Amino acid sequence: MPDSLIVLDKVNKWFGGLHALRDINLSVKAGEVVVVAGPSGSGKSTMCRTINRLETIDNGTIFVNGEPLPAEGRELAKLRSEVAMVFQQFNLFSHLNILDNVALGPMKVRRQPKAEAHQQARDLLVRVGIGDQAEKYPAQLSGGQQQRAAIARALAMRPKAILFDEPTSALDPEMVNEVLEVMTQLARDGMTMLVVTHEMGFARRVAHRVVFMDTGQIVEEAPPEAFFTNPQTERARDFLGKILK
Amino acid sequence: MTGADSHLFDAPGPRAVRRTIIGSGVAAVFAVALIVYVLMELSAKGQLSAAKWSPFLKYDLIKFLLHGLAYTAGAAVVSLGLALVLGIALGVGRLTRTAIIRMPCVAIVELGRGLPVLLSMLFLFLAFPLAFHIDLPAFWTVVLALVLYNGAVIAEIVRAGVLTLPKGQREAAFAIGLTGTQTMRLVLLPQALRIMLPSLISQLVVLIKDSALGFIVGYQELTAQAQSAALLFNNPLQTYVVVGVVYILVNSVLSEASTYLGERQKRTLSQKVVTAGDAVTIESR
Repeated sequence: MPDSLIVLDKVNKWFGGLHALRDINLSVKAGEVVVVAGPSGSGKSTMCRTINRLETIDNGTIFVNGEPLPAEGRELAKLRSEVAMVFQQFNLFSHLNILDNVALGPMKVRRQPKAEAHQQARDLLVRVGIGDQAEKYPAQLSGGQQQRAAIARALAMRPKAILFDEPTSALDPEMVNEVLEVMTQLARDGMTMLVVTHEMGFARRVAHRVVFMDTGQIVEEAPPEAFFTNPQTERARDFLGKILK
Repeated sequence: MTGADSHLFDAPGPRAVRRTIIGSGVAAVFAVALIVYVLMELSAKGQLSAAKWSPFLKYDLIKFLLHGLAYTAGAAVVSLGLALVLGIALGVGRLTRTAIIRMPCVAIVELGRGLPVLLSMLFLFLAFPLAFHIDLPAFWTVVLALVLYNGAVIAEIVRAGVLTLPKGQREAAFAIGLTGTQTMRLVLLPQALRIMLPSLISQLVVLIKDSALGFIVGYQELTAQAQSAALLFNNPLQTYVVVGVVYILVNSVLSEASTYLGERQKRTLSQKVVTAGDAVTIESR
């Protein structure tokens, strides 16, 4: 798998007696957009979080850019800065304004000069459509604006890939689209993305591949068209039947 | 019944109102009777005489007591500053995963919290000259004892403050590649300190009151000065009443400040919610 940016090789994880991830094999190529779908509790968020080691794994190996995932220290911090993450709850730093939220990583991790980091942050905020919100604090923004700021924060690290952990699940319905539009644009620009989501419309339009998980396993993996029109497994058919009314 | 009370109790009905009025009336009568009795007894023993109270109008005595107040404030402010430094260090130390750092911090916190301030003062007063062959100045005896206790308390406040923060703040900091130390310094501590500000001011009140123990090691703070003045004018009761009122005034100003800061934090939060609401309206247009 020479051109694979992210590889999970026979990854297993247990939460106590619960086998949360079962022999997960997955690879994501550079520039690829992979959507992970599945019922809640299927392990899709957990899998997403193992890739930058916010969750540890019990056995198997995760490779990023051909190297095994570092277990600790500066190497791990460096890897995390290259594989950015967008969270369900946005998790913007509540004591910093939006501009500083976006500029913090470049300044403290990449040692960029303040002026340069701030200019880049402003450009990114414009790119995600909230250029006029730079001086506000997270609590002053709507959910959709906060999530777009969080995407700008992720982009500021110039990551090789971005992990999205249910990025629209905590949003009011009218704000889902503004976030999905930003994500769609990112995909068009060639960003490598692993997206855990229930937004099947987004999966259909943007994903190169859909990975369907259930009870900690990858049950099915297919291009979106094939997955939505002709799911191969009973579990996928059942899931799609429930989610696509 | 409005405000905070209404969260705790039902709004009273007619019978409860009647009972409250009768109860308050009876209590008021007893309270007034007690005060009158005490004042009459004090008066009969000459404690309300002008001779006992007039010294407080003299410039020299006022200056003497203000000197004490300044010493009290000095010890309190320096102690709070140092206790803050020690408290943050110990609080963060207790949160680290490394046992070799965490265990000594736990030990110092437990020691500081468990030992009465008076005992640490006496210990410093007695042991320091024996160990280092010089007397520890009274100011530092008081300050070090106060720093040990209050540093331990603040350490616990810091730890609680950091643990209250949502887990996502730490994860987001890790996710942009900050190290553990950077995460604590740049993301967690600044937020925790903001939450803690009212508790820290309340701790200053405790600290000011405890500084009164300094009289035992000869530190000329307010209580010690009061003791000397009372000997001179032969009016200990009156002096302690005056000094007590001074303590209450200073501390109630600080308590008000802490309440105000707490309220302001809450208000800013709700304002932010309102603004967020506006943002939503603009957004959906």
